[in-house]
Amino acid sequence: MRLATFRTDMAKQGRRARTYVALGVMAGLPILMTFAFKYGGRGERGDRDPTELFRLARQSGIVVPAAALAALSGFFLIIVVAVFSGDAVASEASWGNLRYLLVRPVSRARLLAGKTVVAFLLAWIATVSISLVGLAAGTIAFGLHPIDVPLIVHQSVGQLLSHLVVVTAYIAWSMSAVVAFGVMLSTMTDAPAGAIFAAAGFGIVAEILDAIQPLGFLRYGLPLHYLNAWTDFFRPTNSIIGGASASFARAEMWRGVAVQVPYVVVFLAVAFWWFGRKDVLS
Amino acid sequence: MPSVGPPTTTSPIIAVDGLSKRFSNGVLAVDDLTFAVEQGQVCGMLGPNGAGKTTTLRILLGLVRPTEGSTSLFGRRVTPSARELARVGTMIEQAAFVPYLSGMRNLRLWWEASGADWPPPGLHHALEIAGLGPAIDRRVKTYSLGMHQRLGVARSLLANPEVLVLDEPTVGLDPQEMRSIRQLLQELAREGVTVLLSSHLLAEVEEVCTHVVVMDRGRLVASGTVGELMQHAGTTAYLEVGDTARARQVLSTLAGVRSVVEAPPGLAIELDPDVTRAALVAALVHAEVQVETVMQRHRLEDVFVGLVGEETMRQ
Repeated sequence: MRLATFRTDMAKQGRRARTYVALGVMAGLPILMTFAFKYGGRGERGDRDPTELFRLARQSGIVVPAAALAALSGFFLIIVVAVFSGDAVASEASWGNLRYLLVRPVSRARLLAGKTVVAFLLAWIATVSISLVGLAAGTIAFGLHPIDVPLIVHQSVGQLLSHLVVVTAYIAWSMSAVVAFGVMLSTMTDAPAGAIFAAAGFGIVAEILDAIQPLGFLRYGLPLHYLNAWTDFFRPTNSIIGGASASFARAEMWRGVAVQVPYVVVFLAVAFWWFGRKDVLS
Repeated sequence: MPSVGPPTTTSPIIAVDGLSKRFSNGVLAVDDLTFAVEQGQVCGMLGPNGAGKTTTLRILLGLVRPTEGSTSLFGRRVTPSARELARVGTMIEQAAFVPYLSGMRNLRLWWEASGADWPPPGLHHALEIAGLGPAIDRRVKTYSLGMHQRLGVARSLLANPEVLVLDEPTVGLDPQEMRSIRQLLQELAREGVTVLLSSHLLAEVEEVCTHVVVMDRGRLVASGTVGELMQHAGTTAYLEVGDTARARQVLSTLAGVRSVVEAPPGLAIELDPDVTRAALVAALVHAEVQVETVMQRHRLEDVFVGLVGEETMRQ
């Protein structure tokens, strides 16, 4: 009974071609990247590889999903997450079906809760798809090896896998502000495209602002400021400094986890308040 | 047969009490509207487009918040997602569904969203009404407008509702489908289902309804049984004349004429019962207006035109 709205909404998403297209893109890009690592050129010095993970990916298949997460989380993942969340309520409104969901003894809060949970879940599934497919493709292409740079870094397969699990969860959670923003807008418009673009725009604008150094400490409050804080986990640095940088990364990641909370709380509070009292005219 | 509900039989099944709705854009859609529908009545809401019919029905179903006043179902005040809605079947404006799901899947997910077990009590009957055959398993986006509407009516019947609230239920249907929907409504009414339906098809209301509520610009213009409304209207004459404007002028000043309304190509004239058509013709001939056709009609359409026309002229 309590899960009825969640269950029926999940069934709707599970029968929708678009869900699979979106997740398929998330799963396809790591495969494409693996091909590029395997057969592409070594690249020139100075090519864009800010996280150094692309270079490292050839050493161990386990770094491939990390490289894929680094490459995709800043843009493609945000778009996909925006699609799932911006569509949550607005799609029903655009079909004219929302009024029929609401002329039943199911509270609006429960209906929205079901849709919100589905939006979060799909965002997580999209993130996990990148990791799992990347791991599979990377293992096939490069095998499961430890990272071993003598005197500098050594990470066992087990360590790398546990890092991957943590990082996947971290990135999935880092999408929360975008998801919550998308859900909020989705309750306010009958045009899903508008909510989707706005949610994607929210994430991208947050990143652009983050790139403006003079904003100073304000950047620390931006929802995607800490998105790449985890990359030191995989980076080959001096083992002594490496230990320090890993603990620095851990601290940064906790900030990244925490910074989502106020956004999620505020956006969802507005969403529930708005949806609870709005006149449904669609 | 609807089950015997809690002891609320003394109050009307549907009550609208002093209802007003002003939208945030300033439009006053419903203006101090009061009416009631008793157990077993089939009540038609009539009114021109923009009269506030749909808004009233949306408020009654908890979709729209009233600015003032209230509505109640089964004697309990309506709030969003009120428990009483489980006993109500609805179709508001067009039937609408999730386009990429089949008709059957739409019914099922809609039904299960409230936590109810599939299949619902009225499924068999509802599918029969929809008459979609194997198309029930096709995606809804491949349906014609008529198929949409029929599936919509089927959905409204899934719970074997005690009350049906239907907004323009026959829009988009061909004459044969319209006929079968009307027959269905009459059949349900015989079983004791209370029906509130809006329509701009007067013939539909005249054929199906026992009671009528006439709205214009958000206000109640008249209400009562179809028979009462006809009587209230007195008699209505329909004239086709040479010079419409002149005829209007002449007739408006005539004693016993309640209203003169253009009903192209002629005029509909509402009269006190004691005024004859001959008197009208005499007055027109005296004023040198050619009279081409004279008819007396007693149909709801004239009542409607008279009522809404009166209201319009008063403002």
